[in-house]
Amino acid sequence: MSTTVTEIVAPARPGTLKLLLREPAAAVALAIVVLVILAALLAPWLAPYDPFETDLMAVMQPPDDKYLLGTDGQGRDMLSRMLFGLRVTLAMGALSLGIGGAIGVAMGFAAAYYRRVDGLLMRLADIMLSFPAILFGLAIAAIFGPGVTAVVIALAVATVPLMARIARSTALVVLGQDYIEAARAQGMGDARLIWRHLMPNCASPILVFATLRFGQVILLGSALSFLGLGAQPPIAELGAMAAQGRTFLFFAPHISVIPAIGIFVVVLAFNVLGDALRDALDPRLRV
Amino acid sequence: MQRLLLAVPVMFGVLLVGFLLMQVVPTDPAIVRAGPNASAEVIAQIRTDLGLDEPLYVQFALYLWRLLQGDLGVSIINNVPVAGELASTIGPTLELMLASLIWSIPLGIAMGTVGAYWRGALIDRVVMAFSVAGVSVPVFFLGLVLIWFVGFQWQWLPFTGREGPLWTWQGLRAIILPAITLGGVFVGPVARMTRTAVLDVLGADHVRTARAKGLTERLVVTRHALRNAMVPVVTLIGLQIGFLLGGAVVTETVFSWPGVGRLAVGAILSSDFPMAQGTIIVLSMGFILVNLTVDLLYGVLDPRVRAS
Repeated sequence: MSTTVTEIVAPARPGTLKLLLREPAAAVALAIVVLVILAALLAPWLAPYDPFETDLMAVMQPPDDKYLLGTDGQGRDMLSRMLFGLRVTLAMGALSLGIGGAIGVAMGFAAAYYRRVDGLLMRLADIMLSFPAILFGLAIAAIFGPGVTAVVIALAVATVPLMARIARSTALVVLGQDYIEAARAQGMGDARLIWRHLMPNCASPILVFATLRFGQVILLGSALSFLGLGAQPPIAELGAMAAQGRTFLFFAPHISVIPAIGIFVVVLAFNVLGDALRDALDPRLRV
Repeated sequence: MQRLLLAVPVMFGVLLVGFLLMQVVPTDPAIVRAGPNASAEVIAQIRTDLGLDEPLYVQFALYLWRLLQGDLGVSIINNVPVAGELASTIGPTLELMLASLIWSIPLGIAMGTVGAYWRGALIDRVVMAFSVAGVSVPVFFLGLVLIWFVGFQWQWLPFTGREGPLWTWQGLRAIILPAITLGGVFVGPVARMTRTAVLDVLGADHVRTARAKGLTERLVVTRHALRNAMVPVVTLIGLQIGFLLGGAVVTETVFSWPGVGRLAVGAILSSDFPMAQGTIIVLSMGFILVNLTVDLLYGVLDPRVRAS
């Protein structure tokens, strides 16, 4: 008796990056994100002038050959300030997302893994979700005084419950899989199981959320700075720069409009990238 | 009901945090109330009256008691009662929010429905592009652009402050630009959420049945699809109210609109702690109440929620 063995070959899974680049908008967004991060990292080498050096002979200059983006109300080079401002804005976003995200993931995993604390942790998340980020921003700035630290704390706090929910629901699905059961049967300990199996398998939804959240955090952070509650002068930060330029709006609109456009482009790029990443990583949407 | 029960400890928490805020800041409320030229005896008298020598939990109880009577303390900067300032700024904030929602929600719902119905077509791509731009644009950018063009270059509309009640011509003109700014950042999220919700419903069996019955497409969309998509849309809009509040604070600042958000920012920047505390408490309470209202509305729209 002979049996024909039909080999079932899974269709080659196209890489995430390849899927991502198939969409032109996503490719552009990815390029912008990479460029913006590079520009922020290399700011000290790219900037043509000292971002803090004032030149009272050349205030509110419109963009020209010498100053590519013009100068601000104190004669500081806008291009240099934009590069350094991008640095502060992105660092503010990355720090708050990193801190809030890490705490949120830990909270979500703990809730999914140790079901006894689930109710307690999720009620805590619900309570934190009862407040919009702007209120955390106002309250924390009122207590600690305005500054970058206050913004980072506020945005981290606002990110925790959102990330906790995502991490929990993803972890619950993963924990129901057979390979978790198998790993347990082999006697794998909690810490190793979470590190080796739970973490990698929860990575995609967390990454998608983090990308989208990064855009929101930048938007919120720059809004708080615009209000004067975030980065304080003379620090170059895009939101704060837009606020300072407001005074000269009618004589030299470029001073506030250029940083505002900068924020818009960065946030848009992260949002488009996040959407595309979600489509690329979600197998259900793949046809 | 669960949400209602959760709201009680949350409100208590807000008041506790507000109370503790005043404990960590470096000002003595008695000296503030007494004014700059008060004698030591007067200050001591006020300390006793306010219960500042009592233990913290007694002070907290006294604080709640004063709050119930509408006493939120006095401003450090200009000695006016905080409650009075709040009372005069809540109206303009609500006005601004309503004027923004009244056009942005219908427009967002219409855009989302159109996008979902012609899924994948050019019009859908336009709707999606518009909404992702809408969630990415800084509120102040929109405001500054409107001020520059409409207010300054073309001189069509005023752009600083509130110029009277809405039923007067002046008052109505003054709210247009702030309302376009704040509503402008709200259209995107609403369109996005509506599109997803309508897409879900359009694939449902009852919509196919409605089509099979020979109903016109218009009736299928308005009566069968949109109506069923409203439940998730209302919930999601409710969840976005926090986003709207953040936008309102920035919009008020950009347009010098005399609302609670601008009052809060000004108080924090000038270290006017009692005023900051009052504004934060009022904004938090308002936000909690809006969330509760949305939950109740959810029950009205979906009878299944009422039953459970």
